[in-house]
Amino acid sequence: MNDSNLVEVADLSFSRSGRQIFSGVNLSIPRGKITAIMGPSGTGKTTLLKLMGGQLTPDAGTVHIAERNVHRLSRPELFRMRRRMGMLFQSGALFSDLSVFENVAFPLRVHTDLPESMIRDLTLIKLQAVGLRGANHLMPSELSGGMTRRVALARAIALDPDLIMYDEPFVGQDPISMGVLVKLIRQLNQAFDMTAVVVSHDIKETLTIADYVYVISDGRVMAKGTPDELATEQDPRVSQFVHGEPDGPVPFHYPTHTSFRNDMLKGSDTGKRGRS
Amino acid sequence: MKRSKWLECGVGVFVVAGFLGLVFLGLQVSGLSLSRANDTYTLYANFSNIGGLKERSRVTMAGVTVGHVTDISLDPKWYDARVTLAVDDDLKDKLSEDTTAAILTSGLLGEQYIGLTMGGSPDMLQDGGTIKDTQQALVLEELIQQLVSNFSKS
Amino acid sequence: MMHQLSRLGGVTLKTLESLGRSVIFLVMGLRLPVRGGLKLLLAQIHFIGVLSLPIVVVSGTFIGMVLALQGYVVLVGFSAEEALGQMVAMSLLRELAPVVTALLFAGRAGSALTAEIGLMKATEQLTSMEMIGVDPLKRVIAPRLWAGFISLPVLTVFFSVVGILGGYLVGVDWLGVYSGSFWSTMQSSVMFTDDILNGMLKSVVFALVVTWIAVFQGYDLEPTSEGISRATTRTVVYGSLAVLGLDFILTALMFGDI
Repeated sequence: MNDSNLVEVADLSFSRSGRQIFSGVNLSIPRGKITAIMGPSGTGKTTLLKLMGGQLTPDAGTVHIAERNVHRLSRPELFRMRRRMGMLFQSGALFSDLSVFENVAFPLRVHTDLPESMIRDLTLIKLQAVGLRGANHLMPSELSGGMTRRVALARAIALDPDLIMYDEPFVGQDPISMGVLVKLIRQLNQAFDMTAVVVSHDIKETLTIADYVYVISDGRVMAKGTPDELATEQDPRVSQFVHGEPDGPVPFHYPTHTSFRNDMLKGSDTGKRGRS
Repeated sequence: MKRSKWLECGVGVFVVAGFLGLVFLGLQVSGLSLSRANDTYTLYANFSNIGGLKERSRVTMAGVTVGHVTDISLDPKWYDARVTLAVDDDLKDKLSEDTTAAILTSGLLGEQYIGLTMGGSPDMLQDGGTIKDTQQALVLEELIQQLVSNFSKS
Repeated sequence: MMHQLSRLGGVTLKTLESLGRSVIFLVMGLRLPVRGGLKLLLAQIHFIGVLSLPIVVVSGTFIGMVLALQGYVVLVGFSAEEALGQMVAMSLLRELAPVVTALLFAGRAGSALTAEIGLMKATEQLTSMEMIGVDPLKRVIAPRLWAGFISLPVLTVFFSVVGILGGYLVGVDWLGVYSGSFWSTMQSSVMFTDDILNGMLKSVVFALVVTWIAVFQGYDLEPTSEGISRATTRTVVYGSLAVLGLDFILTALMFGDI
């Protein structure tokens, strides 16, 4: 085990409702770097983050964070460890009954005994960092998608975590907020020396900020390397993904047993199965 | 902050009002009394049949409630019912020895209660005294039986 | 045949599993809440208790009034209308107040609890709370469970009180039953321990079951909009059925030997 790696994932296997999602995934995430985990939709990238956060338990294999096995920790120990981790959810997941300010102050309030004035200052510093100090009195329902994600980011870094995990940070963002998020992720990494894991399938943005990239497909690590190495990768599956070609080793068509011609001639009973 | 003060007040009022409601149920609906217990004195009365008399039934005088039944037991000596009455202290040493106690019914099917009627003796009943002149409850079945046997005789 | 048997087995297993999960959930949720829990508890009592007050008071008044009206018609036939107070109070305290309040509670507060928690789950708020290092069972579930246990008995008291007052209004003020005998028949027949406390005990049991069902359905649902709507329906249906079924059992235990 290498000291310079904050997270070590070894031989991780996981299946849910009979479907094998991971079979023997090995990853290491170096301290102080931005590591990207990429792959087509439906490959369980979010599941991987949940496994790392200890919210799901793997069938086999281990996840070590700072040399401790996440799935061997007791519940209180796990919750203590999570204070050192921040996670940015795809939907933002702001608490809808609290204002922007209270959302960001929430981790401070529950985990520290700081006086109110200090909580206020720290919260405003984090909000200033994401450029939303002026929005501190708004409720989450009044925010746009990009602002929601920035507030969630401020909340995720409220306790100055060692590790921050981004779950699809760029999905559904307009170019401007995309640029803002890219800038923020890079700044946080450089200014606070936070180790970052970015799970995404937005190739262009991810490759510009990542130090190291893993590509996951079919439950395994298919390729890894620096962004430059990946761009010149010869493996057809990787190059299809990296260059965004519609057809290739990952087929355009969902697998089917019958030929298109037979299906067309068969009549009207196909596709009629409703939810029972 | 103002809103949360209101909220806390509202919850406080809610819980206190709920407690007061329970007190209301206790006092007004079930007739629990907080301090009445030591304001009464005890009398006994034996009845050959108490009918539907129950503990907590009223004891009245001229229709005014002056106490209640606290205990009913079978007197093994005479095989009749021994009823313990708690009577208001106001009437202590004011009821004559020959006071009569009758088990009465309010309405045809109503509750049964004890009615006291003052006698004329100069001696008064003491605390723990026994009312000797009693009148048993009117039991509908016995009444009908008497009626039927009277008819068949004539 | 084998296929149906195996399906039956599957359904049984699934039911048992969900039952076990809900019991673990209840035990975990009942541990006393976190720091600052009192404030959360007060907010929840406000939400599910105080805000349910209007519907409980209005229903209680009308049910008391109807009881008095119907009771009068029957009792006056035996010229026993003096017993109206007794009848109204007994039926309210022993049965109607605990049961009807619990049913209203399942509809008003239970469904709201399920939908609220379900939405928090669907928008990943519960997951993100876990990732911040806060146990949602303590922070979200516990205050709601306790608030339900406290609120429903209090609401039941309100229901009884306004019901009896509604009965008084109709019986005494409108139908002319003598006020003194209205109260005195009531007082001589209603026992504090046997009737009032037993009624409250029922209400505590109902509070436990209805809140438990509502909160668990919210926590355990499938996080989609369809899942939320189905779980909300389940809360009201299961909650009401559980109240009625338990009421029979409790009545048989409490009053069956009289």
